Amino acid sequence: MSDFNPVTLFFILSEGMGGWLWLLLAAGLLLLGGIVFGLSRLRRAGRPAKRPLIAATVMGTVATIVFTILAPRWTLTDTGAFASALDVAAAVMLALVPGVMVAALVFTMASLRCASRHKPAATLVAG
Amino acid sequence: MNRRGFLAGGGGAALLAGLTAGVPAAMSITGAAAQTSDAHTRIVIAGAGAAGLAMASRLRRGMPRATITVIDAKKEHHFQPGFTLVGAGLWSPGHVTERNADYMPRGVEWIEEAVAEFDPDADSVTTASGRKVAYDFLIVATGLTLDYAAIEGMDASLIGKDGIASIYAGPEAAAASAAAIDRFLETGGVGLFGRPAGEMKCAGAPLKITFIADDKARRQSRRGAVELVYNAHGPAVFAVPPVNDKVKEMFSARDVAVNYGHVLKAIDPGAKRATYRTEGGDVTLPYDFIHVVPPMRAPDAVRASPLPWREGALAADGWVEADKPTLRHPRYANVFSVGDIAGVPRGKTAASVKWQVPVVADNLIAETAGRTPTATYNGYTSCPMVTGYGKAMLIEFDYDGTLTPSFPFIDPLKELWVSWLIEEKGLLGAYRAMLRGRA
Repeated sequence: MSDFNPVTLFFILSEGMGGWLWLLLAAGLLLLGGIVFGLSRLRRAGRPAKRPLIAATVMGTVATIVFTILAPRWTLTDTGAFASALDVAAAVMLALVPGVMVAALVFTMASLRCASRHKPAATLVAG
Repeated sequence: MNRRGFLAGGGGAALLAGLTAGVPAAMSITGAAAQTSDAHTRIVIAGAGAAGLAMASRLRRGMPRATITVIDAKKEHHFQPGFTLVGAGLWSPGHVTERNADYMPRGVEWIEEAVAEFDPDADSVTTASGRKVAYDFLIVATGLTLDYAAIEGMDASLIGKDGIASIYAGPEAAAASAAAIDRFLETGGVGLFGRPAGEMKCAGAPLKITFIADDKARRQSRRGAVELVYNAHGPAVFAVPPVNDKVKEMFSARDVAVNYGHVLKAIDPGAKRATYRTEGGDVTLPYDFIHVVPPMRAPDAVRASPLPWREGALAADGWVEADKPTLRHPRYANVFSVGDIAGVPRGKTAASVKWQVPVVADNLIAETAGRTPTATYNGYTSCPMVTGYGKAMLIEFDYDGTLTPSFPFIDPLKELWVSWLIEEKGLLGAYRAMLRGRA
């Protein structure tokens, strides 16, 4: 494994996933952009990020749990194949990928919703 | 790739990335750092299998001015580590079938013919059409030949018929074997498994298919209807002692009987009887299902050349003589062998190729650039031992049979889903990256 470096890992991922790797990376960038956009809207609206964060954490956790349970099915087997804590930890690691994506999506949507419902005072006066 | 494939591939790759992110330099291979050589050298690679393609890719990048020629008539490329999963009925033949052309690096000449003759004294090889190709360095990567004919009464065309299975003969044969296992479980009876006496590729596969048949029978509540017998060729079921102990323990717990010192000699498909050579004479066993693993040999062109070992355990089947740490031919210094054809113990897996190729490539690059070659290969090989649907043991070892786990947190002798995950989702991407010389 002495040559297991980031470049090698990239090629393994690329060969294993093909074009989907780029779609996944693009989705990741999009979601990252959504988080930044949501944060900026919250800031402009003078709203705290607490509620979107809670919503994202809850939904991300639920998604991670669901995908952890589904993870063995991705490998053509079932949860009965889990034989140790390491197996569960590996499944959680896998499930974190969609879990984090769900959390990012929920955070973005909740932030925008939160920001749009609470206009800044100056805007209200002007309106 | 469909959506399911994306999720699976993405998830598996992500896990692999996660797993390997913190892996220490566990390999005992010591290799020179990737460097290049500007030598105008003629290199011939005989064979476009895993070893040949991986070597061509590495040398193309490392020796930009060299003339690199690959000689092989085969156009299809098979991901052979996946044959077990095809035999398990999980993968389709298409999952393990690709085209050599898709992995042939640019700037490499591919002569789409078989090598008919090796002449290391004249530094040339001759193709099937009679074309003579001269070289400065020769890489022998022909792979091996499955010698079904060495088993009296056996023929590859019988696979899938009359209870005969064999996952080695190719993807279609593996799929036919999966169907044969299903029919056997429906009808019940005696199932025989085993392996040949000589060197073979993926020595764990005969054990894997035994475990798969057992697990499939249990899942279908048909285990009571079948009797499973593993006929070991020698005094052990696996050459590495701790693995042997573990597999014996598992066979015992799963009611798989073991006969030692049984080598399949003949088969009578009509009568469904198999004859084994044993120390006490021939023994004939009736069967309802048999998984045949043929003896494996060097291709005729190699065997007819001066390249094979002339004495010792590796001489009879024509494996190319090679120095164990460098894979260089002791009598022909400009000849190397990699992959299945290399006459070294235990080195007939894709995992071996993954570590053999960089050693030979680095040394060749160093030598042609005027540097001292220093890379060595410790005999590393790997066998993700599938022990059931969703479970495997990630067994890795070296020339000495010492277990060399790459992941310190994965117990090589424990059945784990994470090891199955690596087998089922991680290996194909790593294999393809290896073909491109990137892993």
